[in-house]
Amino acid sequence: MSVVDGKEPSVKELRIIGFLCNWCSYGGADTAGVSRFSQPTDLRIIRVPCSGRVTPLFVVKALMSGADGVLVSGCHPRDCHYSEGNLYARRRLEVLKRFLPTLGIEPERFEYIWVSASEGERWQTSVTAFTERIHALGPSPAVKVNRYDARLVAGGL
Amino acid sequence: MRIGVFVCHCGTNIAGTVDCAAVAAAAQQFPEVVLAVDTPYACSEPGQRAIIEAIEQKGLNGVVVASCTPRMHEATFRRTVERAGLNRYMFEMANIREHVSWVGRDKKLNTFKATDLVRIAVEKLRYNRPLTAKSFAVNKRVLVIGAGVAGIQAALDCADGGLETIVVERTSTVGGKMAKLDKTFPTVDCSVCVLGPKMVDLAQHRKIKLYAMSEIADLSGYVGNFEVSIRRKATYVDWNKCTGCGLCADKCPSRKAPDHFNELVGRTTAISIPFPQAIPKKASIDASSCLHFLKDRCGVCAKVCPVEAIDFEQQDEVVKESVGAVVVATGFDLLDIRRFGQYGGGRFPDVVTSLQYERMLSASGPTGGHLKCPSDGREPKSVVFISCVGSRDRSMDRAICSGFCCMYTAKQAILTKSHVPDCETHVFYMDIRAPGKGYDEFIRRAQEEYRTNYVRGRVSSVYPKNGRLAVRGADTLLGTQTEVMADLVVLAVGAGAAEGSRDLAEKLRISYDAYGFFMESHPKLKPVETNTAGVFLAGACQGPKDIPASVAMGSAAAGKVMALFSKERLESDPQVAQVNAVRCVGCLKCLRTCPFGAIQEVQARDGSTKAQVIESVCQGCGVCTVTCTDRAIELQHFTDNQLLAEVNYLCRSWMEKSPA
Amino acid sequence: MSTIDLLREAIRAKLPDLDMVLAWGGDDPLRASPLFIRTESDLENLAAPHLYVSNLAVNLYSLRSKKIGLVVKGCDSRSVIQLLKEGLIARPSLYIFGLPCEGVVDAAKINREIPDAGRATGLAVRSGRVMVQTPENEHILDLDAVLADRCLRCRYPNPLIYDQLIGEAIPVGEIPDLYQDLDEFEALSLDARHDFWMETMRRCVRCYACRNACPLCVCKAHCVADSREPHWLTLETNVSQKWFFQVLHSMHLAGRCTECGECERACPMGLPILLMRRKLNREIRELFGYEAGLDLMTTPPLSTFSIEEENIAEREL
Repeated sequence: MSVVDGKEPSVKELRIIGFLCNWCSYGGADTAGVSRFSQPTDLRIIRVPCSGRVTPLFVVKALMSGADGVLVSGCHPRDCHYSEGNLYARRRLEVLKRFLPTLGIEPERFEYIWVSASEGERWQTSVTAFTERIHALGPSPAVKVNRYDARLVAGGL
Repeated sequence: MRIGVFVCHCGTNIAGTVDCAAVAAAAQQFPEVVLAVDTPYACSEPGQRAIIEAIEQKGLNGVVVASCTPRMHEATFRRTVERAGLNRYMFEMANIREHVSWVGRDKKLNTFKATDLVRIAVEKLRYNRPLTAKSFAVNKRVLVIGAGVAGIQAALDCADGGLETIVVERTSTVGGKMAKLDKTFPTVDCSVCVLGPKMVDLAQHRKIKLYAMSEIADLSGYVGNFEVSIRRKATYVDWNKCTGCGLCADKCPSRKAPDHFNELVGRTTAISIPFPQAIPKKASIDASSCLHFLKDRCGVCAKVCPVEAIDFEQQDEVVKESVGAVVVATGFDLLDIRRFGQYGGGRFPDVVTSLQYERMLSASGPTGGHLKCPSDGREPKSVVFISCVGSRDRSMDRAICSGFCCMYTAKQAILTKSHVPDCETHVFYMDIRAPGKGYDEFIRRAQEEYRTNYVRGRVSSVYPKNGRLAVRGADTLLGTQTEVMADLVVLAVGAGAAEGSRDLAEKLRISYDAYGFFMESHPKLKPVETNTAGVFLAGACQGPKDIPASVAMGSAAAGKVMALFSKERLESDPQVAQVNAVRCVGCLKCLRTCPFGAIQEVQARDGSTKAQVIESVCQGCGVCTVTCTDRAIELQHFTDNQLLAEVNYLCRSWMEKSPA
Repeated sequence: MSTIDLLREAIRAKLPDLDMVLAWGGDDPLRASPLFIRTESDLENLAAPHLYVSNLAVNLYSLRSKKIGLVVKGCDSRSVIQLLKEGLIARPSLYIFGLPCEGVVDAAKINREIPDAGRATGLAVRSGRVMVQTPENEHILDLDAVLADRCLRCRYPNPLIYDQLIGEAIPVGEIPDLYQDLDEFEALSLDARHDFWMETMRRCVRCYACRNACPLCVCKAHCVADSREPHWLTLETNVSQKWFFQVLHSMHLAGRCTECGECERACPMGLPILLMRRKLNREIRELFGYEAGLDLMTTPPLSTFSIEEENIAEREL
């Protein structure tokens, strides 16, 4: 669904979802914007108060529902606005990252990083690198499940 | 729901690279959207009025504004919808400026992305619920950390405004860097003579409680109700008894203690009072130099003290204070001179930092105001000043301009001439930065009236030659290499955050930049606030600043505190966790993971255990929500359903695009 | 005295102090079912130890207001520890009969070995052999061939928590879990793994038997799997919903699952869903050196953190 002229966008995008903590990384992405650091356009950012609010289930849900990549970004360890949220997140997200291959999902489709509000350049580099990585991986295997389920509804199975 | 969507052009900031009309047209088709329009400036007075009118005329009960970052204008638009009678949480923002128009080059892709962001804002809004703030009492006491000129100003303004003020200073005297300066630019008046009266006011103010030789051990709580633990470091002198007579220092046999006040130029006694105007004027013992502690003998000070104030058994002590706001004014430190070996830093005694030079110029300094080379005590006949040492230097990852060095270097060149009229002065500089009242004129005076030789260029090396120092560098105006002979070399060493800033930032839960300077909440509009409510910044801890800027910021921080305290009660953010008692199995994992102790155990009517959120303590991080497998505890305004609505839309719409 | 007699006498002695005792009984010679002993006469229905296949700890949370006696094998005891540790049951209202266990037989495996197992009249275990009596035959099987899978990699045959031990503890050395099953699975390509789950989840009937059998799924009364607040899953029985349910269940058990295997045993479709839980457990063990249900003191790793994580490298892009 394109909005300009009803046609697909000219460059093939993939679907990347970002969960950014309000205090550091969302601010870092803002800083990148204020500095006009150009970035690929695939990423859609969801604002959360803290990386500690990001249940790994959001990430799996996104990846299993068709997102080609998911990026979680929070404050650097020790710098969490809530002092500890990112430290809980780090454990949970690391376990998740190691779990993904068992589901047949490339662990590279998910990444978690720390970007502070002042690190606009780091944000630009991270988004660019992650987007390139996802493009190298191509579309998510969730497409297969989606197709299967679609046929199920259509009565084809 | 009846949702209205307003797509802001922000002039050409957004409209330049996003087709705002197309975004609005697409939004018109979104579920429950009854109105979608684009608008030149949503935040302007007519822009806000249009939103209010639309709410009233179209009966909107939810609003999405697609414009800049919510960190900029979320509060603005929440007030707007509130003026039209909506609950302020029935509002969502889509950030299509910082996250779209300013970072994407392709207008088509940008428009597509902006439309998605508007859509997920709508999807989330459909799950929003009105939330109501609760109010809580404010403890109208303020903590000022650091008693340099910024901290002193903030403390005096707060205290004069009637607030009880706690001042914590790490060293044994207030005054900070300003107390170490000989003169100030551009007036060339005596620094401590200007500052001294303020220091005395601080000590004598009945609303101010001063903890010198003290540090912040811990800070907990939240705006309006912080609990602070202050570690009072052992001075081995009972300050309740000490009169500051100085007899102990006169008789102390250990005379080789490092003199920190004098920037390690010269030595002091193991028991000392840092300088004549010190506040509080109390002696303290440097245990690392004291014979009693090193060799278990001596005790001369204890014998001579007329009031028996010496207490070798004294220990660090932790005291607690409750405050409602915090002003951080911890200042800066110069970088370690030993990092600049190419300029002889740390290698040649006659290469000194600018701050050491201030002490050498000062009448109360180690040389009594007589300019002498540290190596052999001779009077210098040529002094070379090197600017931008560790500033604007990408090779050491310091692109930062330290701001005040150009000015103090000119001042020091002028003062050098007044101490030794026949002394040559040379300044190697990159550019002169002298914005400020009377500043550029002052540089001119140094150059013209005081005949300082300004050489535009970088110094490559400083090395000994014929008993003096040769300073070799480029003269980029003449396009030549140049070499100047010097008796003394003064390095304008760059400013970094004060030692220990990062640790303090972690305790205060505020952020800092790559140089360790504390981050303000907004670089233009909130220069004094931090992202932690109730914590404010003053002075050079936020970035290098000269005295008038530090003083202004100290007053600004005090003004912020007083504005905060002008209310009897504060409103708590209702974006807090909430327990659904029906779902709660009483495992209390949330209680154990909450970083704020905001969850308590309660007994339900049937005797079962349940978790309960203390709303005024909860800060809204959501760690508990993730901890609870049953989602019996949900963070309001960021519930699973709200975030899932965003995720689900982004995935579903994507899958629908992919060929089946 | 035989183990069953010892157990019967121990329960008989404590029964007056307890509301009930949970043990195993019934008439099926190949598998025992849960037995709720309230009176001495119920003791007559006690079954023999090799049939104690289910994990009775699953009942503890719903009976938490009662004074309960419970018979536990080594594996079951880990569920009890985990429930105690999570504050879901209280130690004073529990009396634990610890039963050292040589392994339980898997009726499904016997069924595969013996065509007429459905008409079995008796089962006995002696020195590594299983004798199954049917009206026509007596079959002799290797015990290892019919033990439940989890017994084959059992590292804790002796209960880790009990008030009274029934019989002698079984001597055990250090038995590592080599995760052979996982290694074999992970040797498959990512694509093959993905397809494996797609095929597996296609067969799932979303009956929630796995969840209902899980001793740690204490919130099943209002499980997120069928709630609308929060609305994690729709009620469609398609692969993506069923698969996500299994992932959600596994992740809710991360750092909690003791691998008792009840989920897999309860599955009417025989889906290998324990594999996901074992994967999470292995990672948690490697990252944090932690296993659930071994002691009451240590904090579960996902409920805490270290400022410097020893085994987690900082991630960069």
